[in-house]
Amino acid sequence: MAGDTATWAHSLAKISPYTFSAIGIAVAIGVSVLGAAWGIFITGSSLIGAAIKAPRITSKNLISVIFCEAVAIYGVIVAIILQTKLESVPASQLYAPESLRAGYAIFASGIIVGFANLVCGVCVGIIGSSCALSDAQNSSLFVKILVIEIFGSALGLFGVIVGIIMSAQASWPTKSA
Amino acid sequence: MSSGFSGDETAPFFGFLGAAAALVFSCNFFSFSAENIFPRKSMNFITPISQRFVFSGMGAAYGTAKSGVGVASMGVMRPELVMKSIVPVVMAGVLGIYGLIIAVIISTGINPKAKSYYLFDGYAHLSSGLACGLAGLSAGMAIGIVGDAGVRANAQQPKLFVGMILILIFAEALALYGLIVGIILSSRAGQSRAD
Repeated sequence: MAGDTATWAHSLAKISPYTFSAIGIAVAIGVSVLGAAWGIFITGSSLIGAAIKAPRITSKNLISVIFCEAVAIYGVIVAIILQTKLESVPASQLYAPESLRAGYAIFASGIIVGFANLVCGVCVGIIGSSCALSDAQNSSLFVKILVIEIFGSALGLFGVIVGIIMSAQASWPTKSA
Repeated sequence: MSSGFSGDETAPFFGFLGAAAALVFSCNFFSFSAENIFPRKSMNFITPISQRFVFSGMGAAYGTAKSGVGVASMGVMRPELVMKSIVPVVMAGVLGIYGLIIAVIISTGINPKAKSYYLFDGYAHLSSGLACGLAGLSAGMAIGIVGDAGVRANAQQPKLFVGMILILIFAEALALYGLIVGIILSSRAGQSRAD
């Protein structure tokens, strides 16, 4: 470390990269599932309420629930990819710059995917809820609002793409280094 | 510089924290039943009790409580549907079992006498517990709200039972994803120390 004066950089660099990696992976799956669950209950409660008077809408509008579920699947995929990037390094190299970088990369990838999927899930859920409500009134509206929902679900995909690109940066130092 | 402190002694802290997170988030922190806190008068059974819920129940507790309130409200007018409407409550209870599974896997994996428990293992266990617990918490919220709406709507329109079950299954799958990732992560915990 350069210099002897205590700076905040020292406290950041003393946090183990394993901490960052673990939190990143947990956030990737946990917050994605939070977004998916949020979307499912927003859509599901509206769908069920609207279907009281119009039970025909139930089977078609399950596709909104499936879009929200896809958000959780993105989170699972990225969490499994990230955990394959997680390696153990010898203790002498635990705080080497390269291994700190790998820890930060996994953390960032997890944050990216988790929060992108959180907002995507909420978005798809709200659109799905209004899709169900309007379909109950007028069945020609279903496909039109579904197009909006497809745009919304692209947000989660953006997060997954960036997260996977970021996770490619996570290269731990090898034993010989 | 890091003075050779490797932190391996603190590793079991993170491991046990992970096990605790898996269980606490998915099951129960403390949950209040609406009946005890806000006793309903007989005219109030249509009011949205959900706005008066102020509790930090998590996961399975939230799912059980929220859909249980729906069953109770619905059962006043249609008591014959109560047993069919217990399904969301059962599905919420399963989330607690997922948390229990991960917590047991983690806590039996922390055995420094049998095998050295490094910081890597501790963090892998922490990640595993957090993944399963947070996913269980979210799925419990979804099951609770969808179950509440579903049982009330099912009482008015019997054709909705299958639709409600389908949506509940999707919500339950979310907790299953968390369990899968948790198991994969906790299996990484034995693979540390590339020395």
